[in-house]
Amino acid sequence: MYLKSAYEIRNKYLRKDMLPTIFCPGCGIGSALQYTLRAIDDLKLNPDEIVWVSGIGCSSRVPGFVNFDGLHTTHGRALAFATGIKLANPDLKIIAFMGDGDAAAIGGNHFIHAIRRNLDVTVILINNFTYGMTGGQVAPTALKGLKGTTAPYGQFENPFDIAQLAVAAGANYVARWSVFNYLQGINSIKKALQKEGFSLVEFLSPCPVSFGRRNRMKTAPELLRWYQKITVPLAKAKKMPPEELEGKIVIGEFADRDRPGLAREYEEYKKRAKKMMGWEG
Amino acid sequence: MGWVMKMQIRFAGIGGQGVILAGVILGEAAAIEGLNVLQTQDYGSASRGGHSIADVIISKEPIYDFMVTKADVLVALAQLGYDSTKEELKEDGLLIVDTDLVKPDREHIGAPFTRLAEESTGLALTVNMVALGYLIAKTGVVRKESAEEAIKRRVPKGTEEINIKAFRVGYKEGLR
Amino acid sequence: MKYPFPVGRSDFIQGDEAIARAAILAGCRFYAGYPITPASEIFEAMALYMPLVDGVSIQMEDEIGSIATIIGASWAGAKAMTATSGPGFSLMQENLGYAVMTETPIVVVDVQRGGPSTGQPTLGAQGDVMQSIWGTHGDHSLIVLTPATVQEAFDMTIKAFNLAEKYRTPVVLLTDAEIAHMRERVYTPNPEDIEIIYRKLPANKEEARYPFGDIHGDMIPPMPVFGKGYRTYVTGLTHDEKGRPKTVDAEVHERLIRRIIDKLEKNKEDIVTYETFDLEDAEIAIISYGIVARSAIRAVRLLRREGIKAGLLKLNTIWPFDFDMIGNIAEQVRKIYVPEMNLGQLYHLVREGADGKAEVELIPKIGGEIHTPMDIIERIKRGV
Repeated sequence: MYLKSAYEIRNKYLRKDMLPTIFCPGCGIGSALQYTLRAIDDLKLNPDEIVWVSGIGCSSRVPGFVNFDGLHTTHGRALAFATGIKLANPDLKIIAFMGDGDAAAIGGNHFIHAIRRNLDVTVILINNFTYGMTGGQVAPTALKGLKGTTAPYGQFENPFDIAQLAVAAGANYVARWSVFNYLQGINSIKKALQKEGFSLVEFLSPCPVSFGRRNRMKTAPELLRWYQKITVPLAKAKKMPPEELEGKIVIGEFADRDRPGLAREYEEYKKRAKKMMGWEG
Repeated sequence: MGWVMKMQIRFAGIGGQGVILAGVILGEAAAIEGLNVLQTQDYGSASRGGHSIADVIISKEPIYDFMVTKADVLVALAQLGYDSTKEELKEDGLLIVDTDLVKPDREHIGAPFTRLAEESTGLALTVNMVALGYLIAKTGVVRKESAEEAIKRRVPKGTEEINIKAFRVGYKEGLR
Repeated sequence: MKYPFPVGRSDFIQGDEAIARAAILAGCRFYAGYPITPASEIFEAMALYMPLVDGVSIQMEDEIGSIATIIGASWAGAKAMTATSGPGFSLMQENLGYAVMTETPIVVVDVQRGGPSTGQPTLGAQGDVMQSIWGTHGDHSLIVLTPATVQEAFDMTIKAFNLAEKYRTPVVLLTDAEIAHMRERVYTPNPEDIEIIYRKLPANKEEARYPFGDIHGDMIPPMPVFGKGYRTYVTGLTHDEKGRPKTVDAEVHERLIRRIIDKLEKNKEDIVTYETFDLEDAEIAIISYGIVARSAIRAVRLLRREGIKAGLLKLNTIWPFDFDMIGNIAEQVRKIYVPEMNLGQLYHLVREGADGKAEVELIPKIGGEIHTPMDIIERIKRGV
């Protein structure tokens, strides 16, 4: 793959009047954004036919920085808004930038139902185990024992595995990487963008300021090294006994299938309705 | 029985007798004739077996009511329906009952509607059409033709004939 | 264009059905909903009709999702609607505010039932008046219409879409269980005889750069549609004319919010509609809306027969609210009565409008029964 310079990508796709971004030094959102833009560029997709949708949180500010149509909505609801856009105009491609709290806590119900319907959307999910924008509260993905301002003695609840949740709910494409895995990340986003139906690429993404600081990892490099320690590639994980996987996060491609997407299913439904009613239009 | 400005009609029975459909068809017939008409209903949360009431108000003037307050006509198809609403019939109102199923404590007219339905169409559930035919023959509140047009519009496709047959049985009985 | 229901004739239909048919005639091609008594019949009619007219009808996971979906559809260019009742309407308040802030035309039908909470699911009420106006947080304005008959439910649904599109605003059609389920004769005009308004689109790329700017001096910015190359950014954060977040600039915030409110306030003459009955020489005024207005009309007629000079103001729009009109009535009459199926909601707006120039008395009724004309008459006679 030919890698264009980051400057070139920035120049081509970002809204200059919106810069600088709100992201802190060491934040991983910029990396995930860069991978997404590179994937779009590589696939030569027409930006006029793409809508970026988001909810609330740091990662949800992304649609403001990219020069595309964008809908920055309410907390957790991005995929419900996306359902309306896609069904009203099936020619549009939709990218949803979501955080872990946005997708798996307040928006959990919209998330699983969007997957169940196989809504045609590519979700780029930033998983940093925390609510960064509101100052470091624990997220539903936070592993047991991790600290946040609302669990100062260490998280006592079980975490959600968002990728596995998406696989179980029926997503067509699901992959998880850390932002350290940039080639795999870009390739996964490219696959996701070419999929009909629901696709999810989850990134473990450093938040040194709100999360790392409270968990003895004050810098992004420390967090990336931690990711390397706790992540296990899927092929290797398959050979490991469950007790060894305790506290680890499996990375890789978890689903790659081609069930019909919601937009196509609805087109078929309309045809069925017209046929059943003897309706010529 | 002629009527001048406004007629309030209540159908009362139990769930499953098609009481509300009878009200809707009478209302549709009135609408076909360009009359002002309002239809509301009241039923328990049970789909079958509870009381079921359909109100129809037909008027040549605009209708501001939203339910039958004092009925000019009460059509009772079951004792439970009759008992739950007999107070709402005007003193000089017309009471029409299924004579097999309702034992009223006041002056009334009627016929064994359910039995007539079974004998003519083989289906007890066409009792609503038999009663509707009887009511229209007795009151002239709408024309027979309008009612038959309304039946065609409102009953499930394929059942028009059997419903009209039941309606005519009731209508004929009402003319006797 | 062929329609899946009769047009150009009168039909005998329920309020819910009338709303669904009118929406389709108004150009609505997107419905998202969640089942709830007594609004489900609207959804069921939409589910039957929409695929036949190449529209969308989709059942969402909850009411939050329903309103979010129709806002998304609106930005993709569709006229869109959802319908619910009190419990669902409470859930919608979040994104109703988003629609206000992003100036998204949508129609939300609230078929009121007894509340709070699950309350009386099958019985009518007028308990959502304040919520329909002030339910979402922050300073804002929107439009609330209140039909009293099935024909009005039909006509006002078309009006709701026209106002939503014309003023780029959410419109609430506030009806109730009684009107939703009653059947009346409704005239459905031929589609070519119905006035249909579509949103103002940007004339060119330059206009599209200001999706939230008063570039025509009418306070209503043209609304870009996604997918046309305009690269529009829409946010619920306080934003400038270009749509860029400006979350700590007091001036930008005030300019935006004042315009959102003023575009409705300063067009009251166009938006607010009402009817009067015997009000010209009245000494006693009844101010009423929705289902209760039916009893109020009869009450006025019966009081007049007894020589009591009563008159009625029947409001078809309860927000924006014409406080001045109420003030004028208060100057003319001795007393104003407000019968409502709640413990006093519109009453407070009327009192503010009357501003002490006439006594205002509430005639409340809750529990699911509608005021009879006698309920209103007896109360008025007590004061005569």
